[in-house]
Amino acid sequence: MDPLLLVVIVIALALFFDFTNGFHDTANAMATPIATGAIKPKAAVALAAVLNLVGAFLSTEVAKTVSSGIIKEGAGGLSITPDVILAGLMGAVLWNLLTWLYGLPSSSSHALFGGLIGAAVVGAGFGAVNYLTLVDKVLLPALAAPLIAGVAAYLATKLAYWITKRPSGTASPKRGGFRIGQIFSSSLVALAHGTNDAQKTMGIITLVLIAAGVQAPGSGPELWVIAACALAIAAGTYTGGWRIIRTIGTGLTDVKPAQGFAAEVSTASAILASSHLGFALSTTQVASGSVIGSGLGRKGAGVRWRTAGKIATGWLFTLPASAIVGAVAAALTHLGLVGVVALVVLGLAAIITVFVVSQRNAVGHHNAISDVEASGQAVHIPTKKERRSAARKAREAAAKAAKEARKARQAADAAAKHAKTLAASEMRAARRASDLEAAARVRFRSGSDAAGAEPPVKDPSAKSESSASSEKEH
Amino acid sequence: MVEWIAFVQVAVATIIAAVVIAGLYGLGVRLQAVAEDEGRSRSLVRAGSWLCFGLCGVGVLFGIALIVPQLQPLLGL
Repeated sequence: MDPLLLVVIVIALALFFDFTNGFHDTANAMATPIATGAIKPKAAVALAAVLNLVGAFLSTEVAKTVSSGIIKEGAGGLSITPDVILAGLMGAVLWNLLTWLYGLPSSSSHALFGGLIGAAVVGAGFGAVNYLTLVDKVLLPALAAPLIAGVAAYLATKLAYWITKRPSGTASPKRGGFRIGQIFSSSLVALAHGTNDAQKTMGIITLVLIAAGVQAPGSGPELWVIAACALAIAAGTYTGGWRIIRTIGTGLTDVKPAQGFAAEVSTASAILASSHLGFALSTTQVASGSVIGSGLGRKGAGVRWRTAGKIATGWLFTLPASAIVGAVAAALTHLGLVGVVALVVLGLAAIITVFVVSQRNAVGHHNAISDVEASGQAVHIPTKKERRSAARKAREAAAKAAKEARKARQAADAAAKHAKTLAASEMRAARRASDLEAAARVRFRSGSDAAGAEPPVKDPSAKSESSASSEKEH
Repeated sequence: MVEWIAFVQVAVATIIAAVVIAGLYGLGVRLQAVAEDEGRSRSLVRAGSWLCFGLCGVGVLFGIALIVPQLQPLLGL
């Protein structure tokens, strides 16, 4: 068949792989800031897309080999021809789409390795695979990535919450302030992704062009290749794998700003450390590990281990599943032009099927992360702390009111008692006066002197006046 | 030929970087709140909090320098 046609097909598929890589990995950088409301969903994917675009143009060094040594190339092994690359890409693309349909984050490069391994096994037998390198480059990092990122995120989250805790009664730190930090930390992850992952596709396309004799061996990627890869990964990122964003952002644990910041900082640190200290880690696995670690670090967050288990199962199947697709694809390409056409038709059919199935319950920026967060901000649901302090205030107010009521009752009692004694003494005085009067009258009648009876009558009235004024004082 | 040394290096570097940056940012957030308290030299505490945020910014710049190949001569790597 026409080798140029094959090259064109491979380049088209490579760019589509780049696109799926982009939308598969938007979640790594942007799931947590979207979940905490640090960045609005659409703005987040736009930011990630721009940073991926910039990152793709910044990366200069492309991989010299497609398989990073996992497949024995050259003598005694397999020469990586465009056929093999086509088969490998097909396996990777289909696995990426399938995992996206189930909302599972999975490593695009591992899927590509799987596809290539399948194709290599069909082309040159099981001996074509470098199993030691496979363990070293894929299996160990797959265990190490979530472990390292998880421990880092756990410690960072614990520290972030411990350091922002103050005794009640003092001004409490606003942990929402971590949202601003999240913008930077997630941008760093997006930029790193652009420089790393677009580079892979550039390498593939360049190798295919060299193999086809279109480009001089040993030369770097053409400008149009760089531009096409950058645009493909940016477009993929902007499309946003909302299903995966939902899984990482809300499926594993409920992410709060300080926690999200800690997770992203751990992700960024792990990616940068791994790419500069020579122990390659998958961004996806690092990001998932960070979110789980941060969920363990925040009190009351809790990790949904069912989802984590589903993701881990996905990782377990990444290599074998894409290897099977790669093997089938490689077998088809061995049939010549008919096989390649059949492969392209089958591949397109599979892609369209996944897309149609995904439309049954479409997940987009509007529903990936439920609006509960946003409406919560609008109506202001009080936090635990606020609820506690409100309850305390209410209790204090109630105690104060009860105390005042008791005081008032005591005062009223005292006043009543006082009034009673006053009234009693008044009564006594009045009775005495009336007695005296009666006695005087008796004396008057009996002809005795009337002037002696006059002063005792006047006295009680003066006393009652003074008692009235004293009662008013109470 | 399992690269244990590289593994340990990456693990230690990741943990230290994550804890330092998260701790610094957290301290910045805390100092912002401390500045609200009465009886403190408000501007001094504020300055401390901005210093923390600034150091985080330096961390971000270091990260960018690590990512962008053209900036790597700046780091002497």
